[in-house]
Amino acid sequence: MPDVTLIIDGRTVTVPAGTNIVDAARTTEVAIPVFCYHPKLKPVGMCRMCLVEVWTPLIDQATRQPVLNPDGTPKLGLMMGKLQPGCVTPVAAGMVVKTVTDKVQFAQRGQLEFLLSSHPLDCPVCDKGGECPLQNLTMQFGPSTSRYDYQDKVHFEKPIPLGDTIYLDRERCILCSRCVRFQDDIAGDPVLGFDSRGRSWEIISKSDPPFDSKFSGNTTDICPVGALTSSDFRFKARVWEVRPVPVVCTHCPVGCNITLDMRHDRLMRVMPRENDFVNEIWNCDKGRFGMRHVDDATRLTTPLVRRGEQLVPASWDEALRVAAQGLMRVRSSAGATALAGMIGADASNEDFALFRHVMHGVLGTPHLDHRPGGPADVALETASARFGVSSGTNLLGLGTGTLVLLVGADPEEEAPLYVLRLRGIVARGGQLVTVNAHPTKLDGSAARVVRVAPGREAALIQAVVCGILDGGAPMSSRARGIDRLRTSLKGASAVQLAAAAGVEFEVVRALTDQLISAPNMIIMIGRTGLAQGSAVSDAVGALAAVTGAFGRPGSGVIALNPGGNARGAQDLGIVPGEGGLAAAQYWDAIARGELKAMLVAGLDPATLGAASASALDALDFLVVQDAFLSDTARRADVVLPCAMLPERDGTFTNAERRVQRSRQARQAPDGQRAHWQILQGIAAALGSDPGYSVSSDVTDAIAAQVPAYAGARYTSLGVTAGDWGRQANESVYYDGTSYTNTEGTGVQLPTGVERDGLPPVAAPLTPLTGGVPTGTLAVLVPRAYDGRDWARGSKLAPRMVPPHVIVGPADAGTLGIGVGEPVTLTSARGSVTLPAQIDRGLAAGTVLIVDVAGFAAADLCGGVITSVDVARGEA
Amino acid sequence: MAPSQAIFSRSRAGQESEQQFMPPLTEHIVLRDLDIPDIGDPEVYHRHGGYAALRTVLTEKTPAEVVALVRDAGLRGRGGAGFPTGVKWGFLPKDSYPRYLLCNCDESEPGTFNNHQIIDRNPHQLIEGVAIAAYAIECHTAYIYVRGEFAAGARTLERAVADAYRRGYLGQNIMGSGYDLDIVVHRGAGAYICGEETALMESLEGKIGQPRLKPPFPAIAGLYGKPTIINNVETLTNVPMIIRHGAAWYRQYGTAKSPGTKVFSICGHVRRPGNYEVPFGTPLRELVEADYYGGGMRGGRAVKIIVPGGASSAWLTADKLDTPMDYESLAAAGTMLGSGGVIILDETVSAVELAYKMDEFFKHESCGKCTPCREGTTFLVRVLHRMNHGGGRASDIPLLHDVYNQMAGNCFCLLGESAVVPIRSALRLFPGEFEQAIERAAASAATLRANAIPLVTH
Repeated sequence: MPDVTLIIDGRTVTVPAGTNIVDAARTTEVAIPVFCYHPKLKPVGMCRMCLVEVWTPLIDQATRQPVLNPDGTPKLGLMMGKLQPGCVTPVAAGMVVKTVTDKVQFAQRGQLEFLLSSHPLDCPVCDKGGECPLQNLTMQFGPSTSRYDYQDKVHFEKPIPLGDTIYLDRERCILCSRCVRFQDDIAGDPVLGFDSRGRSWEIISKSDPPFDSKFSGNTTDICPVGALTSSDFRFKARVWEVRPVPVVCTHCPVGCNITLDMRHDRLMRVMPRENDFVNEIWNCDKGRFGMRHVDDATRLTTPLVRRGEQLVPASWDEALRVAAQGLMRVRSSAGATALAGMIGADASNEDFALFRHVMHGVLGTPHLDHRPGGPADVALETASARFGVSSGTNLLGLGTGTLVLLVGADPEEEAPLYVLRLRGIVARGGQLVTVNAHPTKLDGSAARVVRVAPGREAALIQAVVCGILDGGAPMSSRARGIDRLRTSLKGASAVQLAAAAGVEFEVVRALTDQLISAPNMIIMIGRTGLAQGSAVSDAVGALAAVTGAFGRPGSGVIALNPGGNARGAQDLGIVPGEGGLAAAQYWDAIARGELKAMLVAGLDPATLGAASASALDALDFLVVQDAFLSDTARRADVVLPCAMLPERDGTFTNAERRVQRSRQARQAPDGQRAHWQILQGIAAALGSDPGYSVSSDVTDAIAAQVPAYAGARYTSLGVTAGDWGRQANESVYYDGTSYTNTEGTGVQLPTGVERDGLPPVAAPLTPLTGGVPTGTLAVLVPRAYDGRDWARGSKLAPRMVPPHVIVGPADAGTLGIGVGEPVTLTSARGSVTLPAQIDRGLAAGTVLIVDVAGFAAADLCGGVITSVDVARGEA
Repeated sequence: MAPSQAIFSRSRAGQESEQQFMPPLTEHIVLRDLDIPDIGDPEVYHRHGGYAALRTVLTEKTPAEVVALVRDAGLRGRGGAGFPTGVKWGFLPKDSYPRYLLCNCDESEPGTFNNHQIIDRNPHQLIEGVAIAAYAIECHTAYIYVRGEFAAGARTLERAVADAYRRGYLGQNIMGSGYDLDIVVHRGAGAYICGEETALMESLEGKIGQPRLKPPFPAIAGLYGKPTIINNVETLTNVPMIIRHGAAWYRQYGTAKSPGTKVFSICGHVRRPGNYEVPFGTPLRELVEADYYGGGMRGGRAVKIIVPGGASSAWLTADKLDTPMDYESLAAAGTMLGSGGVIILDETVSAVELAYKMDEFFKHESCGKCTPCREGTTFLVRVLHRMNHGGGRASDIPLLHDVYNQMAGNCFCLLGESAVVPIRSALRLFPGEFEQAIERAAASAATLRANAIPLVTH
């Protein structure tokens, strides 16, 4: 849009047409006070705080020419003869805006007097005190006294719970509707609303359970008063006492920038930290309310060493020595290949580097993995590293012309913040297409929902690829291996593949047209897709190759590998080496006597099922690094207590290959050590101490040794680039209380194309033309609220998903099952009985099993898709 | 036809006024129920030319011709703003369909009750008007939004709509013209704000009744985001008669700028409160004093306050009784014609109490969306309450001026702006009454202090 030049308080400003006056003023550091306006939300003009004088050139009605003053300047008139709300008044050429006049100041004082007339002014006991826009704006623009009688104030019952995590104090509420609009427009969970009218107008929750949204915490940030406060932080601390420490959330592959607000060594609250490349100013409730496990009383405090049946406390020196000797003993007796190691995907890059140093460099085993070794283990994929998304991709900048294809993905459960990011793309004119075997939340935002048979996502993508290759669609792609790809699909037709996917061919054709006509395409693969071998990621890579969706910002593949740093684990070689086994193969190998000792860091494979539990029991030697005495740790010979997120420094790589630094917020309460420090201790005991003193030494070593990470040193990670659209120290007026980012926005690693300049290679595909599977297929689906370690002490505890099975209405009818009634599932592996939920959107022959704590998935499932018999269970 | 009435009226008890008044209308345009008994009966309506205008329009005129005819007649919106109806109809964007017609029957302005009489006693003329307007703006669904409290009226209207369907005046292929129209009668839930056009649309869409941000204006994006025209009941009831008799006929009534007639709802301390249809430009005095209209003041008392266009209009005093009742003249007098609800109050009324009562109404009806209306009306009512109950303070008069000035021009919609009107009128016209209220409060406080029960000490 063309730019418009206007004058605001004597300053000449040029902004894009359509910009509102408040935003235009911000670009020239003129602060117009607001309450209901928020730069991330559509303006509504309700609070009337942003009233300004707007003068526009007068037009002669007869000649349609501007009326001129005697000196030749255009004569101006006050728009509509009254003040205008700046947030809903777009700029126009020649406009003169005055924000500091007697009339404006009278109105500003007036609105503040009105707002305070029904506000309790209980700032001394209000959690918002100290970071409250109402407080700040009253000090700057308001009257110093109120003429409203105190006894006339409106009073409501003090806070009422709006949900498990949020309290509503109705008498503090100034009815700006920011929270309602956030839920409607940004989160897409329209669970809040209004009731009644006038001074009785109040916020209510319309859902059951109340405030049923994974993004509820954000409403406390954007609330301009203390009406919405979190049950997690309520009365914990005054905000000026806390020290915000920038860290990166490791709950999922998004890598949200957050701060840990510390008072001395205690975590008081978690807040989002602005990073437009990752999480804008938001975070999800799991990230915000799921950090209380760091202060859980059951944390391990000292190393433990096995004495017979007992694990007894030991010194670090002793424990590290025992661990090293034990591993070395097995290596000496049974060889390096009798050792295996696994480290969880939420460890840091530095942890991974030391893990590889110990297990591969020193001990020499090829059996390394970052996956938990269960049925939901994803296959290693390279599509996202080869095809992008390219460096410079920022989902916040995408809209019209961008198509996002979600394949076997449920971002709400796997990487919640992507829900906001993808809905943002839709709001800006982009399109979403979901390809899943079952309904997901983002279906509601999608332009097209393609429902495939369980496990047939790859067949659908192959059908599209095949159609593009056969149909002679414009092939502008520079990808290599297209001919080999074409050959590999010989003998299969798009029609056959569509049938194999269980999708009408017309749908495939329409989808294909949609995909090839999109100027930008991002393909996002979720766990369900990634866990079906490499079929889906290869097909997706081929689709990116044939559509040319790579090599430029805004296009490419994003893989939601589970864990906060799965990308880093793969980049740093925590994958099976030459002749190495994948984690899921460890248990059989142990049973066969091929593996005899293991080092497990930050994973709990004993809970996966009977096979892994008994295999761990059968090991000669087991070292576990964990924060808690997990089921796996109970079986260990040495247990080494690890430091948790607030107690460690390090770098993490997110799903978009952005490396970000997380800082240490406190000393570990009982001397627990970061994984990399523990591993360095083991290495030292093995006589191979790399001698790093701080985390950044390891980061530097990674940058020196791993080509992709060459640019990812602390200095470059700490650069806060770009225009954040907010003025320093005034964010609290506009954006709420999320923190500005002063600690760096991270570095996006180059793709293979960008590093070596060669176009990516499309892997050949194996056509999946088999018939649609018959019988019932169970899909093991992820849940964000899975009840695992992070949930300890969390206010979200009541929201943890219990083990259950979800059936469609047809199957429920056939089996005569009602909600909550038991269903028995039997597979080749075994049989379990779970309570049933019914999802109206689920097709017959598909059931979903939620992958949560308390359900040993491996005892039923051999993968994410399992053939099962379903029967009514015995109560 | 009404017999010719005495042209001398009793404006004061026992006194013959020398004032000469125009005779009342012998034939009404809107309140035809006064001329034709039982016109609400479809047979009777039909016998008196009912639906002939609709037939003419559907068979002989293009939509554009209908719009032009109504524009030429100079019909102005009776909902309050007085905007030319034909011009409004011409605002719809080209080639944007579907379009909707909303008939605003949420008549909630205090002192206004003519819509009620129309739907109660002459519903078919309204339905015919809705159908003609719908044809003119090329829409196929029209809604009549009826105030929640008009239960009986809404039922009458629903029966009339059902009858119109039965007789083929509504529904598919009306009178063989190929034109389809559905009319839906919808009752509100009892909120003044739902008479505001955008709040009405929100309410009709099933949402909480609150005004929308404008622009976009309803003609561009209204009901369900589609181009929408909203007209008042009285406006649309005029339309069949304009079609039947033509623009020139219509313009013989009223003034050049305010053509036609207007149904004024006269209430207050007059002898004969009620709805009276008179040509625009009829002097206010005539409405108050003519025997066949208000019939003079009850008990022969003097006129003190005239609220000429519903509670939202600025007050007049008796010296303005000769103001002609048309849009321009009332605007020149510093008030507005508004909804045509004329409230005449005599000297027994306290201006302080009247301002309190009226602002209590606006406070009760404030939707809560914007700060100045939600909090400002509450503030005003609190201060006016104490002033009326012997608790006024010396600082209250400047305070009241400040509070309404903090609201004036700053509200989201006209409800809050309307709430400013009564208190501003009262303070402007009767400042002495406020001062007296404060003096009385001070005196009674002094008396209370003097007569305080002495503290007994032993």
